[in-house]
Amino acid sequence: MTTLDPGLLVPVPAERRRPIGLLLVAIPVFLVGWLIIWPIISAVITTLWAQTPEGVEFSTATYQFFFSDSYSLSNLSVTLWTTGVCAILLLIICLPIALYLRFSDSKVASYVQGLAIFPMFVPSIILSFAFIRVLGPNGTVDLLANAVGLPKIRSPYLTPWGPVIGLVWDNIPLTVLILLSGLGNVSNQSIEAARDVGARKLQVLWYIILPRISNSILVAISFAVLGIFSSFTLPYVLGPAAPEMMGPFMQRTFRELFDPRNAITQAVVSFGFCIVFGLFYVRSVARNRAP
Amino acid sequence: MAILVHRRPDWTGIVLAVVLTLVIVFPLLVVGTWAFTNVWRYPSVIPQEFGLKFWYQTLSRADVWSSITTSLTLATTVTLISAAICLPAAYAFARLEFPGRDLLFFSFLAGHAFPKFGLLVAIAGIFLQLNLIGTFWGVVLIQLVGTLLFMIWIPVAAFQSVDRRMEEAARDVGAGPFRVFWSITLPQAGPTIAAAILLSFVGTFYETEGAWLIGAPQVRTLPVLMISFINNQPVIQFGAVLSVLLWVPSFVALLFARRVVNSGSFARGFGG
Repeated sequence: MTTLDPGLLVPVPAERRRPIGLLLVAIPVFLVGWLIIWPIISAVITTLWAQTPEGVEFSTATYQFFFSDSYSLSNLSVTLWTTGVCAILLLIICLPIALYLRFSDSKVASYVQGLAIFPMFVPSIILSFAFIRVLGPNGTVDLLANAVGLPKIRSPYLTPWGPVIGLVWDNIPLTVLILLSGLGNVSNQSIEAARDVGARKLQVLWYIILPRISNSILVAISFAVLGIFSSFTLPYVLGPAAPEMMGPFMQRTFRELFDPRNAITQAVVSFGFCIVFGLFYVRSVARNRAP
Repeated sequence: MAILVHRRPDWTGIVLAVVLTLVIVFPLLVVGTWAFTNVWRYPSVIPQEFGLKFWYQTLSRADVWSSITTSLTLATTVTLISAAICLPAAYAFARLEFPGRDLLFFSFLAGHAFPKFGLLVAIAGIFLQLNLIGTFWGVVLIQLVGTLLFMIWIPVAAFQSVDRRMEEAARDVGAGPFRVFWSITLPQAGPTIAAAILLSFVGTFYETEGAWLIGAPQVRTLPVLMISFINNQPVIQFGAVLSVLLWVPSFVALLFARRVVNSGSFARGFGG
């Protein structure tokens, strides 16, 4: 890279540059090693090797506890449920928006795009507050229902649907952007060609568009799953006290029950459930980007 | 598909626009209304009395001011440290050849392969042994890690998009390496780097999970205070006023960074 045009420039000898390059990246790389890679390795080690009076001993006790404790298991299952429902809802909501944005160039389209991206600029804590004011008890929806003589709604606040609504809202922008970026690879010619031979809209979607954006769909789902599985703020504020999602569960175990060993076990369990999505996501990002 | 029918009114677009306005803008308008409301009792559809009473009351609370100070200090510290260590690294990744360059470049993705809060708990396990729980610098470290990927990957792209021929031309007429960097490289890469710095400041300002897990209750940032307002504060307007205050940095980011976010390269950075 440093010797693009050797005719004009005397390239700095590679040996002289090497240490400088490594030196410049040293601190961020050290931070990644110390605060990302090492904590993960350390989490596995500290939960599997217990300190006993006789020394260090291999033990799966905390994992056995997690997978036999009914409260832990119901937290895990509410987390899996929330993640699954959110992923499906996100696709159902964001795919039509992305399709519309890709194939429309009207003025309304730029307004829709602006709105779809807007939640990215609303911190989730403000979203939580807005959610409670609108859908919570005596919220705006109740006010409006009351004004037209309808009964109060059954508020999703403090039920498992609370975090679902909040998390979907929060994840719309990036899901739309990732899908839209995938739809950029679908050429207008291929769609016009299919329509010329008589394909209907749904057929175009199913046979032409979806196969071409399947990778983007998987990336969007992986990204959403990684974010939602261990989300903290929205489930903590909007969700029920029990069963709770893994994020609030880990936080409570760590800070309120002062039980870091079990909290870290819960973290490792979360890693296990997300590892496929994580690796797929990282591979996709890396493939799109070479230094 | 509207490209094939775009003479007719754009009904799909109008329906989407109305639904999204209701779902995305309306809840925020409700919060905005609450912030400027003195009295709003159920079941009136509009507030009985508008006013700034609760702005005065919120802004005279000591806990609000101390968390504003904490948040701004934290975000500034993290962004400055992040820029100081990441921008030289980004330059090195973009321009210099060194062993392990590709592997180290992609190592910044490691954090994104794991569910975030799980990773934070694992880090908290390390901080527990180092007595960093409940300290300012513990929160700085955990938020610093969150900025690394953006602060390296976006500037790398910026440095790579600088026209190399202009740099070489400047060198040909006798400019030293620092002069070339200052007069040619930086002005071209500057706007993107500034957007990265702004995004990392705003991202840090709103970072709630690390601050809550590592810092609370000793280090109380504005979002952490907001959580306690939501959970324990019966006066709705305090939360509403704080929400409006809390949104200011995001609004600034919205004004300056929208173009970056709307560009295709941003989504590709997320793997799209």
